[in-house]
Formats: sequence, structure tokens, C-alpha cells
Amino acid sequence: MGRLNPAEQAKIILRSRISSPSFVFSFFSQSPDSNYSKLKYIISSSVTEACNNSVLLLGPRGCGKVAVLEIVLEELLKEHPDMISVIRLNGLLHCDNNCALKVELPILPPCCYTDCMNILEIARQLCLEHHLMFSKMASYDDNSQFLLSMLRECGLAHKTIVFVLDEFDLFTQGKQRLLYSLLDAMQSITSQAVVVGVSCRLDADQLLEKRVRSRFSHRKLLFLPPSREDLQSDMMIATRFSAICHMDMNSGFLSVENFKSALPSIQRQPKLEALKDCSVLELYILVCMKRLEVKELELCNFNSIMKEYKSIHDTFQTSDYYARNVCLRAFEHLLDRALISFEDNKGHGQSAEFRAVKLLISWHELHQGLKSHRSCPLSHAILTSKCASVAVA
Amino acid sequence: MIETPKMKKSNRTPKKKQPISSPDRVIEPLTPQTSTPTTNLRRSLRLTSASPQPSPAPSRLKSSPRSGRKTSKSYKNAAPHSPTTISITPASPQPTESGKKRKSQDKQAGSIEKRRVLRSDKCTSASNKGKKRVYYRKVIYDGGEFSAGDDVYVKRREDGSSDDEDPEVEECRACFKPAGKRIMIECDDCLNGFHLTCLKPPLKEVPEGDWICNYCEARKSGKILEFPEPPKGKKRARTAREKLLSSDLWAVRIESLWKEVDGSYWCRARWYIIPEETAVGRQPHNLRRELYRTNDFADIEMESIIRHCYVMSPKEFSKAVNDGDDVFLCEYEYDIQWHSFKRIAEIDKNEDDGEGADTDDDWNSCDESDSVSEEDIEYDDESKINLLPQTSPAHPVAANSRKGRIFGLQRIGARKIPEHVRCHKQTDLEKAKATLLLTTLPKSLPCRDKEMDEITTFIKGAICDEQCLGRCLYIHGVPGTGKTMSVLAVMRNLKSEVDAGSIRPYCFVEINGLKLASPENIYSVIYEGLSGHRVGWKKALHFLNERFSDENKRGKDIRPCILLIDELDLLVTRNQSVLYNILDWPNKPNSKLIVIGIANTMDLPEKLLPRISSRMGIQRLCFGPYNYQQLQEIILSRLKGIDAFEKLAIEFASRKVAAVSGDARRALEICRRAAELADYRAKKSPLSSTDGKIMVGMADVESAIKEMFQAPHIQVIRSSSKLSKIFLAAMVHELYKTGMAETTFEKLAMTVSCFCSSNGEMVPGYDTLLKVGCKLGNAEYYCVRLAQGTNCRNCSSTIPGESITKMRLSIRVHAYHRSMAIIYINGGHELHMTLTTNIK
Repeated sequence: MGRLNPAEQAKIILRSRISSPSFVFSFFSQSPDSNYSKLKYIISSSVTEACNNSVLLLGPRGCGKVAVLEIVLEELLKEHPDMISVIRLNGLLHCDNNCALKVELPILPPCCYTDCMNILEIARQLCLEHHLMFSKMASYDDNSQFLLSMLRECGLAHKTIVFVLDEFDLFTQGKQRLLYSLLDAMQSITSQAVVVGVSCRLDADQLLEKRVRSRFSHRKLLFLPPSREDLQSDMMIATRFSAICHMDMNSGFLSVENFKSALPSIQRQPKLEALKDCSVLELYILVCMKRLEVKELELCNFNSIMKEYKSIHDTFQTSDYYARNVCLRAFEHLLDRALISFEDNKGHGQSAEFRAVKLLISWHELHQGLKSHRSCPLSHAILTSKCASVAVA
Repeated sequence: MIETPKMKKSNRTPKKKQPISSPDRVIEPLTPQTSTPTTNLRRSLRLTSASPQPSPAPSRLKSSPRSGRKTSKSYKNAAPHSPTTISITPASPQPTESGKKRKSQDKQAGSIEKRRVLRSDKCTSASNKGKKRVYYRKVIYDGGEFSAGDDVYVKRREDGSSDDEDPEVEECRACFKPAGKRIMIECDDCLNGFHLTCLKPPLKEVPEGDWICNYCEARKSGKILEFPEPPKGKKRARTAREKLLSSDLWAVRIESLWKEVDGSYWCRARWYIIPEETAVGRQPHNLRRELYRTNDFADIEMESIIRHCYVMSPKEFSKAVNDGDDVFLCEYEYDIQWHSFKRIAEIDKNEDDGEGADTDDDWNSCDESDSVSEEDIEYDDESKINLLPQTSPAHPVAANSRKGRIFGLQRIGARKIPEHVRCHKQTDLEKAKATLLLTTLPKSLPCRDKEMDEITTFIKGAICDEQCLGRCLYIHGVPGTGKTMSVLAVMRNLKSEVDAGSIRPYCFVEINGLKLASPENIYSVIYEGLSGHRVGWKKALHFLNERFSDENKRGKDIRPCILLIDELDLLVTRNQSVLYNILDWPNKPNSKLIVIGIANTMDLPEKLLPRISSRMGIQRLCFGPYNYQQLQEIILSRLKGIDAFEKLAIEFASRKVAAVSGDARRALEICRRAAELADYRAKKSPLSSTDGKIMVGMADVESAIKEMFQAPHIQVIRSSSKLSKIFLAAMVHELYKTGMAETTFEKLAMTVSCFCSSNGEMVPGYDTLLKVGCKLGNAEYYCVRLAQGTNCRNCSSTIPGESITKMRLSIRVHAYHRSMAIIYINGGHELHMTLTTNIK
């Protein structure tokens, strides 16, 4: 490995900074209006002043809710070592009804599985955190008892427990026993605990049952996407990243051209590109399917498509007519490219030609694709416009 | 098993081990304490000095190592010497000679011998029928009156020094004369007392706040200013407090008192420890008069008790300004095994105190009755047995699965007491925040007097009836109106009445429907509450049925039983058998069961089967939502004495909440949030520290309310990307144009491209638009819902991304938000004006 030239090094630094969330968000952290300092104030006030809080972090995806939370927790753990234990639950992981672990649980009505699982998971993490023995077979009652006494003991020992509930909205399914018992414990015994819910549903607190909501303390922090005036703000980081990848190594500067070339690579139109590569016969099949759809046929499979193909050939007197097995090959190719798909997953035993299929592109896209196709015969355009007129009519 | 922690400790804090060298422990089994393992801990080991051992006291033992700070220091300095001293001690048969000497002075050796034998007998066999210990609540011994729960000084060992006389009166540190009539002041740093007139310059009166004497002040500034030497011939007498703080005395809390068969008085004591003796030593934020309560017990003889001292909780301590020299502060419990600190729970302390005060009369009246003492002895032994596995679990036990008892929790504790707890002085705002916490139990419960009276009369009527026919009360009301709180407060009041003896005892079981794993589990919880055993729910149901219906089988427990079921609606199963069973028991003759059910809905009985509603719906009590005056009163009663809120702000908050829900929790949370916001403002802006107090004003309350009640849709829409705004606008436009509740993606795409082209925006690609739509619809559920389309069969099995084109979209934002969204889009980007005209 020789010495990298300065441009390379700059590229590496830029890349690493863009892709690490902690750098991106620590930059904004100093001002008192930032979510970072507000969240830090809420959690640290619970640590130092021994109070309970529950906070919701709301905002669209990709706005740094969890990233900011992680920064805050990391710093607080540094500031108050041995005084904070963090329990993390994720709604997608721990609210799954089909969880494989449930067979090991005592027999319960199905609505309680998730709560039981959650509380077991909390107990597990608490045991791990405090180096206690953990039993997987403990019942729901035991676990909730354990949770209560842990909350009390930790409160007496000036230790704070932070519950991070990612995908908070998924915890609100069912009877919300977990949330109820957590929040009720927090308001009835002397403890220091913070419940941090992270959700991208803005009405997450409205999803709570009313007795749970009454116990929730309703601090909300709203995370907004950082930039505003561009067409699609969410693409910003990806655009920058690819622009940097295209950085000119000779000059060592980022130029406007880099960004211009990066933009189309981000905003790709995969379906149009797929259409561009299709053969004429495949386009024929697509058009046939579209026509069948316009005619509002109930089901269409390869045989009905072939019938339509034949009728087109007959009416418009097109020059080329392919044999059935060639068409079948083209049809399978379309299936592989996922421009069409089977209607359902049933009937795997049947051969492909008898299974119902559906079109996955709209008329608009098909039209555009045909127009931009390099070797499309003119008749195709006529065909589709005819088809369109039928559709409009 | 017990040995190991001690070994560890001895490694860590060698200075404590010095009085007891390791061979002593081998000898130790000879002492009576070994039969009671709980007393076999560090302190009690040292305490063996108080236990009599008939052995000739060799004179050389006078040089036995002095325990305590000073000597340990000297050992440290003279490191090579220490091994020799230790090697001497094992040679002596007992290291406890000094205590022995005192004992032999006081009493004859023979009787001591006898007592020892008796005690060890009792502990091993635990049944010496003829002779029993007699337990007392209060003992007058040597002129002092001692009762269980008192704190006392205990002699540590025979101290050869001259301060035997133990002056009750503190002397002035400057003139060495007792206080007399002149007022003395205490330095907050070195705790020495001074006459006001002896000071230079003399003070007229006791100053407010902390005061530090000139000596300490000088020491702090680096100079050395010696205390005046005492006059010749007069040795300065140390007070008991000074001796305690230099670990020449011990303080204990008396847990129980008894008279041994031979007539000597003993007590079971719980040690206090001074900060220097803990593993971390004295921390800078420890107060001068601070003690820690340990979890270590020992039996000591009454004669080693010197006199009372007063160990107080911080609250009492702050009030006890003028209570003399023997006042100490104790906030934490110290675990001597794990070297960890834990706050002393306020609740359990209150209970202790209440019990002590209330049952005092009973104890005195039945002092000598044998039955009582026998029971107590049994109980005592039992508790020792129980304690054993806790202190030394033979094998690791899972913390979360023991039925009813949880292991390993004693390990949790702070290694050190965090500094911020002490050093930080609370501002008014922080005090307000603390009192507004839902956890803090208010001193008074305003606004629910009528309801509480009603509950009280209901329960009293049910209990005090001779027949004690079962009854049932249904309490309903919206969340946060104090239902559970009122019932629990009534039960507390009743408990104190039971303790006073005016009501017959009863048993009380509290259950929360939402905390049960399944409705049927309630049986086992009830049964556990009544009998203490845990069984499966079917068995429990069987037992409970027997207990409540069959008079013969209920055993000797004839107390009436009160059952409080919170969140009653969670117990409704499909065939409602759980509720039926529970509500049927009170109607059985002689069941003596009273059921109080709490739920939110007013018409829960009507929704149930008629046979249940006829049993439950007779007596009802409604907790209406609080109106704004009541809310205001609740908040004000909590904030009494704290000047942090503007009056108008409180009224504003309570009016707002009363208009929406009348939920007291909500009102308290709003006020707390407002206080937090004000506090945040105060801490973040550097200027505010100069201009003094920040009050919680209307603006804070308003922003708290906004945060709590307002959905943030508008803000998010305003800051979202332009394309998604256009997407939403197109959707709204489409929906208004067609008048339908739903639309399809294809139509929407048409509209979007129309909008874009007519406004000079770049028309987005189809796939880009799809991505935006998916993001809005899939991730931010609030805007778009994917409704199942009619032209697309079996949509649910497809991936949303590819099927959105086929699905019908319908907007889910509330109508209010919808119009707001349009306005923002128009205002922000001057979209087509026809859009709004179309809509309106």
C-alpha cells in the first residue's frame, strides 16, 4: 500500500463522515433548540433528579431519531458510569406473533404472547445488565414481579433504567399490557426510569389506549428532515455520496458535473430501462396483456394472451408472427424480469402457461417505454394509441 | 459459604480485619454466636468481645490491637510491625479479653457461663419448654427507657482512657466550660461547639444558614490555626458523638428486646456505620453527621448500651436544628457484603414507625403472657432460617423465576453515593418538578372527600356487620380521576383503625386486571393473597370455592376479605365465567367477601350477562371528571410552599385539561412539563442566573399543552419534500374532484404530472413518483392508506411496492389537517390557484 494521494484521502474522509450518523448529528448538537440537547436534558434530569419520564421521538424515517438517541445515551453513560442501564426493545423483533420462542412459553391465550415475550426480554436484558441469573422458563407473573422489584431497587440505588422502544407503534397492538405495566409501575413506585418510544407514525400517542395514555407523560420530540427546498430531500445523502464517488481524482475538487452525473444514477427508472431492453415479441405480449386488461377480462393466462396476439396479428396484418413455443420463451423471460407476475402463489404444479398472470406496469409506463424503444416498429405506437383510445373510452 | 465474602472483605479492607486475625475464626465456633449464622458477620465478630467467655485474661492482652481509625493509621505507618502483632493475637485463646474483664467486674463468671449454655441450647433445639425468652416492647434499664426501634450508643470495648464519664453536656471548644445558660453554636465543618461570646469576634445571635468556625476557615485557606489547649489538669472530655465519629463507639438500632431465662436483658441490634468504615471511605459530599444503616444484625446485651442517640431521615434531620449533639442523619443502607449503597425506602420506614406507635399499648398490656412470647420466638427463628439462604445462596438462583421471592437483588446498589444527589441544592423549579411527579404521594387528597366517605361507609358496613354478608361495589370513571387512589387511601385509613383496635382485622387483596397474564390467573393471585401459597388456577378456583361456600372448610381464618379488582373490564372472557365466579362468592352465606371493582366504562354491568349484572350493578359509585377548580386545587395543594408557578398559569392549565378530559394526571404532567421547559430555559441561557428566579408562566404552559395535544402533522408536511407535497395536493384534488373516498395511483400520477407541467416543475418519472408515494403511504402511515382495490384481486399477498399502482389510495389525514396541508402547499410554493378553487 503506497501513500494515497491527497484527493484519495479527502475522498475517504468525506465518505466516512457522510456515512457515519454520529458525525452528521453531532454537528447540530450545540444549540439549545436542537433535539439533541432537549433529549439529553430530559434523560439526564431523570438521572440526576430521580424522576420518571416518558418521551416519544417522532418523525419520518431517516431523520436521525435513533442516531441522536444513541449519541445522547452514549454521552450519559460516560458522564454517569454505572448508573444507567439501557433496555432495548424493537417492535419488529419483539412484537412478532410468529416468534419462534413462543413454543417454550407456558400455554397462554395468543393475545398475551407478545406481552409475555416482551417482558421476558426485558427481564433477560435486566439480568444481563446486573449480572443476575436468568431463567427462560419464568412465568409472566414472575417476570413482571421481577420487573417491579428491579425498578424499585434501582430507584433506591440511584440507578436509572432507560427503556428504548423502537417502532413504538407496533407495541400498541393488542391490549398494551406491557406499556400499561411499565407506565403504571413508573407512576406508583419510587423509581427512576425513562421510556423512550421511537416511531415514524406521527399519531403514535393517539394509538394508546386511554388508560395507558393517561399514564404516559407525553413529551414529544419531532424530528424533521434537515433540508427543505429540493425535490426529494430524502435522496440528499445518497446523492452526495455518489457524487463524491465520482470525484475527479486529477483535480481533487468536487465539481457541479459530479453532482449532475450522480443525480440520474440515483433517480433511476428501472421499469423503463427494463422495457428498453425488451425484444419486440415481448413488447407484443405486454401490449396484448394491456389490451386484455382494458377489456376487463377476469383472468388472463398465456393461452388467452396468445389468442389476443393472434387477433392483433389478424386485424393489423403485422408482418411477423412467431410460433407458440417462441412466445412462451418470451413470456417466461418477462416473468423473470418481473414485468409480469403470477396472480397468486397457488398452483405451483401447473405449467406456467395455465397460471393466471397480471401486468405490473401501467399503461403510462408502457406507452413511454414503447416510444423510447429503439427498434420498435411504428405499428406498435399505433397499436398502443389505439389501445389507449379504447382505455379512455 | 459465609466465610467467602468475609475473606474478600478482609482483603479489601485490611484495617477492619486487624482486631480479628484469621485464627480467631477457627476458635470462633466456641462462642455462642455460631449457632445463629446471621450474627456471624463482621460486626458481630468484633462484638464477641461482649460475649462472656470464662478464661483468664492475660495481662498482655491489654496491648491487643485497638480497632478504629487512628490505630489503623499507625499500623499503616509501621508496616513491618503489623505481622508481629497479628502473630501475637492468635496465641491468645480469646482476643476479647477487654470485654471479658468488664464483664467479670460486673457479674460473677458462673452465671455468665450458665447463660451461655442456655442460649446455645435454645438456638439449637429451639424448644426449651420450661424457660423461655420473654420479649418486650419497652424496657427500662439502668434508668433509661429503651424500646424497639430506638437508636442507642453501644460501647465498643473497654477503653482504658479516662473518658468513661461520658459527658452529656458538650463543652465549649474555646473556654472548656459547659454550655450553661449561654447559647452555643456548632461549626458545620468540624462540629465543635462554641459559646457565642467566646468567638472572635463574638456573635450576637445564631446566624442563618451554614456557619464555619474561624479554625476551619483558616484551615481551608491554608493556614494552620491550632485549637486552644485545655487548661492544665483538665482533660477535654469527648462527647459520645465525637467518640462515635472517631469509631470509638457504635450506634445501633434496637430491633427487638427480650429477657433471657436467667434474667439478663438482651436486644437484637442493627448496626449503623460511619462513612469512614465503608469500602469507599468518606466521600467529599458526606455530611459530618452522616451514618449508614447496615444490613447486619447482632444480639447484644443491654448493659453495653450507653444511652439514646437520634438517627433521623434527612427530612427530620433538616427540621431538627436545635436537638442537641446526639442527632445523626441516615439516608442510605449499606450492604456489607456487596459494599453497595441503597436509599432507605420511605414507605417501609413509615410502615415500621406506624406499627411501632400503634401497637405499643397492646405490647404493654400482654407483656408477660406466654403465648405471645412463644409465637415471637418461633417467628424469630423462622426469620433467621429465612435469612440464611439470602445471605449465602448455596448455588446460583435465577433472579426472575423464584415464586414470590426474588434472589440476587441485594446485589444492586450504588458503589458510591453519587455526588450530585448531595451537592446540588434544589431550586424552586426543581422542587416543583419533584412534587408534581405522579409518583410522589400527596399529603392530602383534595376534592374526593364525598366519594371516600362513601367507600369508607361501604367497607365499614360490610366488615362490621355481624352477619358480614358479602357485598359488591362497582366504581367507574374516566382515567385519572383518582379512583384507585381513593380506594387505597381509604384502605390505609382503615388499616390504622384496625391497628388502633376499633375495627376487626381483615385481609385485603389488590389485583390489577391488566397485569394478569390471563383472566383465569386471577384465582391463583387471590388464593396466594389469602393463603400465601401459589397453585395453578384450577386448583386455586377449587380451594376458593370451598373457602367461600363451605363454612366448615374455611379453616381458622375468619377474617373478612376485601378484594379490590382494578381494570375490571379485562376480566371479561367469552363466557364471562371468571366474573361470574368472583361476583357469585359474595352472595354465598358466610363468605365474608367484599368485592370492589374499578373500571372506566359506566355501563360495564349492562354489557354483561344479566346474571352478572344483577350481582354487580347494585351499588355503584361514579367518579366524575374533575372540573377546573378541582384541578387547580389539586395542583396548588401539591405546590404548597413552592413559589415557582404564576397563578394564572395554573388556572390556564387546569381549564385546558378540564375542557378536554378532566384527567388529573394530565394536568399534573402539563404543569411538570411547563416547569421542565422553564428549567431548561433557565439552564441553557447563561444570563438568567444573574436576574434570579424564573417563574413558570403562561407561555411555558401553552407550549407544554401544544406539545401534548397537537399532532405534528402540519410541521412535517411543511418540511417534507416538494414532490411529496405535490403528491398530497394532487391526492386531495383528486378526491374532491371525484367526490369519492379513494383513488388509484394511475389517476393520481396523471394529476401530478398535470400539476407539475402547469407549474413549470420538472415532471417526475413514474418510478420516482412511486417511490414518493410508497414512502408517504408505507412509512408515514398518517397520510396515505393502501386500501384494497377492486380491480386487483388478492392484493394482500403482494408486496406493497409493486402493487401500489393497482391499489386505491385514500387519504387518512383528518379533514382539518387536509385543508391545512393545502394551504401550506399553496402558500409555500404558489401552486395552481385553481387547485384551491376546485376544492372549495
